[in-house]
Amino acid sequence: MLEVKNLSHVYMPGTPFQVEALKEISLKIEKGEFVGIIGETGSGKSTLVQHLNGLLRPTSGDVLLDGCSIWSGKVNMRAIRSRVALLFQYPEHQLFEETVYKDVAFGPRNLGLDEKELQKRVRYGLEQMELDYESYKDRSPFSLSGGEKRRVAMAGILAMKPEVIILDEPTAGLDPAGRRQLLALIEKLHSEEKLTVIMVTHNMDEVSRLANRLFVFSAGRLVLQGEPAVVFNSPQKIKEIGLELPVLSELLLKLKDSGKNIRTDLFTVEEVGKEILEYFRGGRSCKV
Amino acid sequence: MQSITLGHYLPGDSFLHNLDPRIKLLCLLVLIVTLFLVRTFWGFMFFGVFIILIFSASKLPWRYFLRGLRPVFFIIFFTLILHFLFTDGGRVYLRLGPLTVEEAGVFMGTFMTLRLVLLVITTLLITLTTSPISFADGIEYILRPFRRLGIPGHEIAMMMTIALRFIPTLMEESDKIRKAQMARGADFETGNIFRRARNLVPLLVPLFVSAFRRADELAIAMEARCYRGGENRTKMRELHTRPRDYLGLSVSLGMMLAILFSGV
Ligand SMILES: Nc1ncnc2c1ncn2[C@@H]1O[C@H](COP(=O)(O)OP(=O)(O)O)[C@@H](O)[C@H]1O
Ligand SMILES: [Mg+2]
Repeated sequence: MLEVKNLSHVYMPGTPFQVEALKEISLKIEKGEFVGIIGETGSGKSTLVQHLNGLLRPTSGDVLLDGCSIWSGKVNMRAIRSRVALLFQYPEHQLFEETVYKDVAFGPRNLGLDEKELQKRVRYGLEQMELDYESYKDRSPFSLSGGEKRRVAMAGILAMKPEVIILDEPTAGLDPAGRRQLLALIEKLHSEEKLTVIMVTHNMDEVSRLANRLFVFSAGRLVLQGEPAVVFNSPQKIKEIGLELPVLSELLLKLKDSGKNIRTDLFTVEEVGKEILEYFRGGRSCKV
Repeated sequence: MQSITLGHYLPGDSFLHNLDPRIKLLCLLVLIVTLFLVRTFWGFMFFGVFIILIFSASKLPWRYFLRGLRPVFFIIFFTLILHFLFTDGGRVYLRLGPLTVEEAGVFMGTFMTLRLVLLVITTLLITLTTSPISFADGIEYILRPFRRLGIPGHEIAMMMTIALRFIPTLMEESDKIRKAQMARGADFETGNIFRRARNLVPLLVPLFVSAFRRADELAIAMEARCYRGGENRTKMRELHTRPRDYLGLSVSLGMMLAILFSGV
């Protein structure tokens, strides 16, 4: 449903500070996918996702939503942004209203909804983020904890009822519990609310487990793409561009390198545990 | 937001870049005084040629330089119009209802505009080739004699450094917040002036919150390193004047004397 065609982006063109942040990127994201975008800091991930809902205008190339260019002039940018919602890194910095209710309602209000619908939307957003509507709605967003603030910010974009959510490093700076909780909520949005999720992250363990497809960026270019099993099957390349393998893949590859005939395309603790147990049990029973 | 290049330092390696910042500030002062000594258009032409020579010695890209002038264009234009319309005297060139464009107005307008343009260009030449840090160093040094009069040179320089240091950061931050709110359907571009002002709230509140947070963090970081102002503070980079600095200063002084005594 989202397609990027030959997209290049240059920041501050014509000045000595010119940066070529993206070079000739083409990619396609289908409805219902959970895609991960990974790459070193400065590789252009944030620049790319800001193109997907028209916050940045491509220097050349195009962005298509359901086959229509979002820059053709015929489409309403606000409508696009409500369909393709983007949550920036450290979204808690964007909170500004006196109450959680007002802040979450900001997005839907801009869509011109009436008060009754607004209330429904706010309730929906907060509930999706497991924040109790009654007890949070009148609190000041500035009095919340870091994790809560972030969930309120996220509720703010969910209240616009988007079809696609783009999350730029959603778990950066959270403690392990907050991280786990947020990831579980995102996973639920994907599986139950049927949202298409695009997640930018530095955490290979999270993304290999959650995403069904990965895009790997390096220095403004799309260098690898495919299922996690495919992408992490080229450990050499991954390390070359400054990334890490997921811990579990590393473990499985080490075992394989030491001559054990074991699968390396598994990414959850349960699967990997089962595989290793099976291998060793199997091995022992062979010897006996 | 990308057009705000006024005084944005451009690193480089040229005669102008390598001048001692104290000397550079003195030169700037001398040249500004010179500009106010100019009495005829010939003087401006002379000064203009001089500035063009300096500009080519600075190796600055001229396109970038001209963009730096854009923000003051409005002020310059305004000066010109005001003089044209309201300075009276001499022949009348044009009548627009109660307003007239007269000879003295045209003369003064052009004269003042030239002075203003050259003033901005000269200042820009200096600020574009001096890093904010050495700029502040220079200011601190120049203010040193006034310490006894109670002017806290070091503190002023420190405040300048910090302010300059945070301008790009805050611009980046405001750009980010603006985009974040636009992603939530905010509109910063349309509507009348009141509406626009109200629409800025979602931008300004987070910006202030973040500025205060940064100020707080910075204060703690400085305190953690036992910062306590100017007394007995040593410098990481000592400033040394070299022959070329004296050359630069002599040239500026020469310019001033030439204009003063030739009467142009
Ligand atoms: N607003 C901007 N102005 C100028 N350069 C930028 C801006 N945003 C990002 N860049 C530059 O573009 C490149 C890609 O940045 P970004 O997309 O933020 O990378 P990532 O999100 O992968 O860390 C970097 O070199 C960065 O310095
Ligand atoms: Mg980024």
